[in-house]
Amino acid sequence: MDVETADVNTELMVDGNAIAGELELIFGHDMTSALVRCASCAAQGMIATMMAFVRGPGVVLRCPSCEAVIARIVETPTATYLDTRGAMYLRIGHSA
Amino acid sequence: MAALEWQLGTVTTIQTETPKTKSFFLALPKWMGHRPGHHIDLRLTAPDGYRTQRSYSIASAPELTGQLELTVDLIPDGEVSPYLHDVVMQGDLLELRGPIGGYFVWDVSLGGPLLLVGGGSGVVPLMAMLRHRAAQHSTIPARLLYSVRTADDVIYRDELARLAGAGSGLDVLFTYTRQAPAGWTGYRRRIDAAMLNEVIKPFGLAAKTYVCGPTLLVESVANLLVGMGQPAERVRTERFGPTGS
Repeated sequence: MDVETADVNTELMVDGNAIAGELELIFGHDMTSALVRCASCAAQGMIATMMAFVRGPGVVLRCPSCEAVIARIVETPTATYLDTRGAMYLRIGHSA
Repeated sequence: MAALEWQLGTVTTIQTETPKTKSFFLALPKWMGHRPGHHIDLRLTAPDGYRTQRSYSIASAPELTGQLELTVDLIPDGEVSPYLHDVVMQGDLLELRGPIGGYFVWDVSLGGPLLLVGGGSGVVPLMAMLRHRAAQHSTIPARLLYSVRTADDVIYRDELARLAGAGSGLDVLFTYTRQAPAGWTGYRRRIDAAMLNEVIKPFGLAAKTYVCGPTLLVESVANLLVGMGQPAERVRTERFGPTGS
């Protein structure tokens, strides 16, 4: 692929598995199998299957169907910011 | 469930697997048990306080108690793996937290047949599954399709041969994408639809499938499998990012 022109560099991306530790700290348990519905295209999938970009100052999760931003996580020395405006909802199973 | 906590593991053994891959055995004060496929986060802190972290799959089976084996590929321009490869010595302490990730896990209670597809060091979490399967004396039918560039790049070569011995129910198939060994009659190309068709044939569409490796390989294999009719929820994927070349 042409990394100079592509909006989303799929070669550099990983997936939701890679941020499982960060999410577990925020939510208190494993979130990789939690379902998320994209607010842009309404596709639903497990967090582990989301596109994840982790090489920046924060983490960005994108929808694998439409590439819209689902969530962003930024760690500062004093706090964690979690922006989930791209998700219609998260479904966290009680057995998780 | 206990909160995810950082702990210091002691490097007990360092093993060279291939010219660019080493395994690190870490003794843990708070060994937490894990499921095959889980990973850990490993964190390095510089003297000035700068921190960086990476995720590494656990290579050992949960049956190996009190310690973890991590198998790490050297990414020459990386930030963490060159330190692990070139600086870390036996007796050093490494900070890690885990086990992490409940999606990309398999144990014998989940049954089979089990189809594993690994590219390069993507074989590491799949090895934890196969070691666990062997430790449980399971004969759940399993196949590993392992894509590597050359014979020198095969991690766990001897152990895989042992695990796939007669009566084990495990087949290990290699494909060499750059250079096959002399006299090789098997696959010598990137994984494609024809290859996957042959590999999944004994299992049909029933296999529980785990695909791990460089992102582009995982994307391609998962799309091909779903295109062949494998239910997407039974094709579990873990992407390692770029290949480093």
